Amino acid sequence: MDVALKIWRYDPESGQRELKRYEVEAPEWACLLDVLDLVKDKVDGTLAYRKSCRMMICGSCGMRMDGRAVLACKERMKPIVDRGHVPTISAMGNMPILKDLVVDMGPFWSKIRAMKPWLEPGYEEYPEKESRISPAAMQPIQKEALCIMCGCCVSECQSMESDPEFFGPAALAKGFRFVGDPRDKANVERLEAYNDEHGIWDCTRCYFCNERCPKGVDPRDAIAKLGAESVKEGIDRDMGAKHAKWFVHSAKTTGWLRETELVPKTQGVVRALKDYKLAISLAKHGKVPPPFPPHVAKDQKEARALRELVSAQGRDGAAGIVQGEKGLAHAVHAGEEELERRKEIRP
Amino acid sequence: MEAKHDVLVVGAGCAGMRAAIEAFDAGADVALISKIHPVRSHSGAAEGGINAALGNASDDNPEKHAFDTVKGSDYLGDQDAIEVLCDEAPGDVYELEHWGCVFSRTPDGRIAQRPFGAAGEPRTAYAADITGHVLVHVLYEQVMKRDIRTYEEYFAWKLVESDGRCQGVICWDILNGGLKTIGAKTVILATGGAGRLYTGTTNAYSCTGDGMAMALRVGVPLKDMEMMQFHPTTLSPSGVLITEGCRGEGAYLLNADGERFLERYAPNAMELASRDVISRAEQTEIDEGRGIDGDVLLDLRHLGAERILEALHGTRELSMTFAGVDPIQDPIPVRPGAHYHMGGVDTDLWGKTTLDGLYAAGECACVSAHGANRLGGNALMETITYGRRAGQAAAEWALSHTTVAVPESTVSDAERDLAALLGREEGERPWAIRDEMAQTMHENFGVFRREHQMEAQGKIIGGLRERYEKVVVDDKGMIFNNDVTQALELGFLLELAACMVVAGLARKESRGAHSRPYDYPSRDDESFMKHTMVTWAGGTPKLDWAPVRVTKWEPQERKY
Amino acid sequence: MKVAYYKGCLASLSAKELDSATQALAPKLGLELDELESVTCCGAGDIHEAEPDYYLHLNARILAYAEATGADTLMTICNVCTLNLRQANHQLQHDDALRTRVSDNLERVGAPPYGGGVDVKHLLWLIAEGDGYERLKEVAHRGLKGLKVAPFYGCQILRPSKLMGFENPDAPWSLEAIIAACGGEAIDYPAKIKCCGFPIIQAREELALDELIQPIEQALEAGADAMVTPCPLCHLSLDAWQQKLEAATGKSYQLPILHLSQLVGVAAGLQDSELKFRRHVVSVKPVVEKLQVGKP
Repeated sequence: MDVALKIWRYDPESGQRELKRYEVEAPEWACLLDVLDLVKDKVDGTLAYRKSCRMMICGSCGMRMDGRAVLACKERMKPIVDRGHVPTISAMGNMPILKDLVVDMGPFWSKIRAMKPWLEPGYEEYPEKESRISPAAMQPIQKEALCIMCGCCVSECQSMESDPEFFGPAALAKGFRFVGDPRDKANVERLEAYNDEHGIWDCTRCYFCNERCPKGVDPRDAIAKLGAESVKEGIDRDMGAKHAKWFVHSAKTTGWLRETELVPKTQGVVRALKDYKLAISLAKHGKVPPPFPPHVAKDQKEARALRELVSAQGRDGAAGIVQGEKGLAHAVHAGEEELERRKEIRP
Repeated sequence: MEAKHDVLVVGAGCAGMRAAIEAFDAGADVALISKIHPVRSHSGAAEGGINAALGNASDDNPEKHAFDTVKGSDYLGDQDAIEVLCDEAPGDVYELEHWGCVFSRTPDGRIAQRPFGAAGEPRTAYAADITGHVLVHVLYEQVMKRDIRTYEEYFAWKLVESDGRCQGVICWDILNGGLKTIGAKTVILATGGAGRLYTGTTNAYSCTGDGMAMALRVGVPLKDMEMMQFHPTTLSPSGVLITEGCRGEGAYLLNADGERFLERYAPNAMELASRDVISRAEQTEIDEGRGIDGDVLLDLRHLGAERILEALHGTRELSMTFAGVDPIQDPIPVRPGAHYHMGGVDTDLWGKTTLDGLYAAGECACVSAHGANRLGGNALMETITYGRRAGQAAAEWALSHTTVAVPESTVSDAERDLAALLGREEGERPWAIRDEMAQTMHENFGVFRREHQMEAQGKIIGGLRERYEKVVVDDKGMIFNNDVTQALELGFLLELAACMVVAGLARKESRGAHSRPYDYPSRDDESFMKHTMVTWAGGTPKLDWAPVRVTKWEPQERKY
Repeated sequence: MKVAYYKGCLASLSAKELDSATQALAPKLGLELDELESVTCCGAGDIHEAEPDYYLHLNARILAYAEATGADTLMTICNVCTLNLRQANHQLQHDDALRTRVSDNLERVGAPPYGGGVDVKHLLWLIAEGDGYERLKEVAHRGLKGLKVAPFYGCQILRPSKLMGFENPDAPWSLEAIIAACGGEAIDYPAKIKCCGFPIIQAREELALDELIQPIEQALEAGADAMVTPCPLCHLSLDAWQQKLEAATGKSYQLPILHLSQLVGVAAGLQDSELKFRRHVVSVKPVVEKLQVGKP
């Protein structure tokens, strides 16, 4: 089949950036990576990109197709060619471009290293045989262990776009790989570090990372697991944590969110008062519901009792999120065909 | 010289990283060189598992493991090397677990072990079907913990040989351009295999036999080069690997008639016979017209969606992406593909080569732990055990020597050779030579080999090497020039191909992966229970032989 | 069509205009709303992060009460509620042991158990295709008279697509279809599928405002008269926090932000008492005047 691509070229030696169009003949089973290889072999050997395994495990070939990060070896070209579409290929986002489709992964790896990503078992002398850990106890980190460090999540992270110092989804997922590992004994230290101003609570919950990850790691969920573990350990000094805890408090007392109090409870009274202009404009338009009398939902005693019951059952922290993963995996499996079909629907 | 180290490890896959960690812990100043980031190494693509006689799934011991390995090697493996591997494997696996390796577990919390090809007991420890991935990451974590210096995206091109010693490596700096020389008291080659010699291969683009060719060029012999393992279950046409773990979980292999054809070739072990036996069976079925478009079928359906999603999730992803088949619903079309090189740089039990200061470990080495055929799960084990041993030995040697000297001439020779390549304006692009090499190796040096085909292949390789002298690169730039590194890789591959063909012709028998059913269909222990040894002499391979080291097991008939 | 109706926190309190518009609109669209009262906040991403087991139970309770009405669809009017309820629903529907445990707990506190029989759908999905769309076209007789409307999807109605699954998360079309059916002109701009920043607008204001400014500026540059969103949280940040963007940049944006129900409501001839535009911070007057809203 004839395949056409547009590629954003960047030559670091001249500083020139240019969108170039290429056309090659490729076999029907070709992926984007195969097409890039044909371009490099037969049209322009200066095209630079990373590749190695071509089977979605090494993580080398992350790049953007039509502005969205993908693994080049995973994207089949036939459906794109059949639609008559000419995709635009560019380097991943949020990372400096070295040349063409090659980015500087230095900052990416610095953030990974900042997580102290090695097991801290809490002992120097290793026992003779393996630690005994049940399959259930190892379950919490199965998804995070899938991460191939390709950078697709980081490329699309909205928080990182606005705060380049944000640790980011890949680093935080790696962080949870250790916090959730029963053999690691440095949980509290780790959580303290990950609760940094550029840590967990920077995440805007845009879910682009979950959407783009080619391996199903779901980094946003890993960040949520870190949040859950932080709250469980009583590490809640960040405004983000305070904000989250007020939602819990609202749900168990009045049911509906106690919006007006949310601001001072999150930011502290002093800072909340500084925002008086916003508060006045909101009040003028009826958007500041008076905290008294409290707006209590019907049968609220059920929600109160539910909290006590659930707390006593001890599936707090990351366990509360992990328990849903089995159902979600089956849901995805069950709905895969329909999802793919819907992604293609045009009105 | 850009820098100087005690121990320089070329290649940062499992063997390289394990060696570096060991050398570091022994107190040496270590550095890793890798042409790709360490976690991109092809060790990460290994799927099924790592073998050790832990005894968690059955009553197993290192001696049983060793016997299975010796028999699996078709009696070409050096038995002392095999015994060392099997004895030390359990300790090495426990160490990986203590470092945090995410193994799959038994219900009572021990490392789970599954059955694998040609193993008498289930001893393959695994992490779902991403064992290599998990190992690469746990090793890189330990490298990060020790802050081991890594020359990332440095393409190692030539070994520095001087004064009867290896004294460093000359590299092309991929990120910034230019040749960089790194001196070292010892160099450990851990560069993996050379699957890129073939069209259908499980290997990454980076598996171009760099270390083997570099060693060859400084006069170190390569052992058993004709022994290339063809993995029975690879996707066509790319060769992407479908793990043996599927068969360990109980998958069937079927021909076009829906028959479990291994009944006729390996009635006892069936789908868990050794890989060479299964690849030959498949190839025979295909050649005799009982294949489907050049494939046979790997059927997982009876395992059930639950088990597939749990233990073979990666396999399902690969099958759906590259073959368009969901194994929960349909069987996967598979065929033999070039996978693992049993042959490589000749070393002793500590990874030491014939050149002082030069060591080798992992797939690029030939101790020989695998002889003429490797058991599934033994490769990962070899990378760890022999990686560790090479690291230890290199560190000891380095710490007891003081000087490093890189002669100016080696550097200027390299500069000149590179300038010749870069300076060429007219010539052939490497891809045509590369594709012809891979296609003809596939046709003439594949699962079944014949005298006249191998001879023809020798001439073809000769012709390709001549054409290679005039090859031209498009990219003359400094920054991220993998056009030039890919051209240099092709040079490595062509020399290794020449060695393989010479060794293949010399071995006039069928043993393990070297199968000559038309001219020499049987194994001939009297004449050929010995290793081929190829050295480079005046630009051409020279053949010699070396004895197989037997300790406990005399050769027997090999049936599965 | 009878649906269980979960309005969520904002529509109950600070965004009452969304609830009033929805309730007035529903009969015109053939939707009979059975409003759930014995429910709580869905928890947003916050309870999911702080106390995930409680999040699961709160949402299971909402689903259980919805199931108890006899309807097979639970209708939401907020992106975040939709994601939260669908996520919980997927977990419960496809894991019998989990559903049993949670239902037992619900029963112990006096709530009904959940059998897994409800599907969660945003109003947006009910009227963007099929019968709902046909009805929409019929009732939009007042029309938007070519009003240029920028659709803002936000994040959680689209992603993660394996949980939401209604449309292509990178090329959604539902809002555009509705705008067109109502006689408006849909404006296209890249940030329509990005996050507005609301989840962190208090904890990380600067970061959130850096996100928020993108859809506002891009839509205005593309010529939008107004913006529409299916999420009251996005609405709050786009509308009420717009003044912060103006303060930070010194520019005047004054882009009216409409809830989905209000946009459709205008086209369907709802009165101002039902639309409650006065509750918006950024004046909707230009739209009201152009479309002669509230006039017979």
